[in-house]
Amino acid sequence: MLTTKIKLFSMLLAVVVISGCSSSAQVQIDSPFPTVVSKPKAVKAAIVFSDDFKAYVAAPNSRTSIDLGSAQTELLSNAFKGLFRDVEFVSAATDVTLENALVITPSVQEVQVSTPSDTYLNVYEVWIKYNLDIQTASGDQVDSWFMPAYGKTPDSFMLSKSNAIEEAAVIALRDAGAKLMLDFYRIPSVYNWLVREQLLDEEQ
Amino acid sequence: MNKLLALCFTTLLAGCGATTTIDEYRPNNQIMDIDSEQSVVILGRRDAGHYDTDREFIDCVAKKIKGADIDIFPEQQFVDAIYPWFEPRTAPKGLKRLTRLMQDPAIKQQIDRNGIRYLVWLDGSTETHDKGGSISCAIGPGGGGCFGFAQWEKSSIYEAIVWDLSNLTEKGRLRVDSTGTSYLLGVVAPIPLLTPVKNDACASLGTQLKQFFTLGETQ
Repeated sequence: MLTTKIKLFSMLLAVVVISGCSSSAQVQIDSPFPTVVSKPKAVKAAIVFSDDFKAYVAAPNSRTSIDLGSAQTELLSNAFKGLFRDVEFVSAATDVTLENALVITPSVQEVQVSTPSDTYLNVYEVWIKYNLDIQTASGDQVDSWFMPAYGKTPDSFMLSKSNAIEEAAVIALRDAGAKLMLDFYRIPSVYNWLVREQLLDEEQ
Repeated sequence: MNKLLALCFTTLLAGCGATTTIDEYRPNNQIMDIDSEQSVVILGRRDAGHYDTDREFIDCVAKKIKGADIDIFPEQQFVDAIYPWFEPRTAPKGLKRLTRLMQDPAIKQQIDRNGIRYLVWLDGSTETHDKGGSISCAIGPGGGGCFGFAQWEKSSIYEAIVWDLSNLTEKGRLRVDSTGTSYLLGVVAPIPLLTPVKNDACASLGTQLKQFFTLGETQ
């Protein structure tokens, strides 16, 4: 009887230890993001966050999933508020009410993850490839802008796989916000549209 | 015999000291004044692909400077307060870009609101190289132990650049270069003889930076 109990306990212990070595990771991004420091331009824009985008869960490989939906919606909302003076957030392009506005639909093209076991580097890395479909309120295509973002952990020391991927994903999301703020008005087609619509500030 | 062993051990320990060199450059001898309502922020450069200036080193330098009653503004709090202009992709690499940033009233307001007077950029890393020797450990029913000898060299190279945000000028540069060899002896039990290269670099850089900010008091 005692031997059976010991065997059962040993098996249970072995299962716990082996499951602790599992290399799968389900990551939920919980970090809050800061608001952007920027003076928005006198431009109107409607941002289409589709339900798929708001609930997006990336599966860069069979063992990893990253719930990016709410985090990317929060981050991009902040960034767009820093870019445009009048901004509305809608779930579909048909819900847009603003006139003479840009209609921007962000989507995730791909998410990639690399771990120390893949690259033999001492870091975890996350790439998020966004696409911004930019149209006018009347439905004319302005551009389809590819926006890559990248994040990596400083090292992998004492980090669990989930925590490390979360840290790298947060840095990648912050990088996406930075890229958007830095480069959006530098997109030639957007700049040309602003010139045509006479929406540029005098300082530009 | 005991004296010989003690001498050998002392010699080995003495060999574990790091060699640290500091180069300092200041464009002029003006006093770097800072009042009690102003603070210094120490930021790490993180735009290089192959290394990040580690936060542990930045915290260490910040603690060394803090000893001189200088208020240190936390790095992450600063980066968040001014998001996204000090992210790895957007952080200014030179004074020209910083001047452009400070022309934005929203950014200038945030800097002023937080009382940031000086910005210290730290850039560098600690690397291990020249590994040699080998050590092996074994365990059996009768006991276990290690046998062998291993050594490795570490070098810490960091550069600090001080910017004055009130007049957008560079106030000085410091470069610390610290190297040292660590040993691991396997004599039944593994005996590590570690050289605190990074700590030495931090202490030297922190002390020197502290003198930058307290120069006015000592003159």
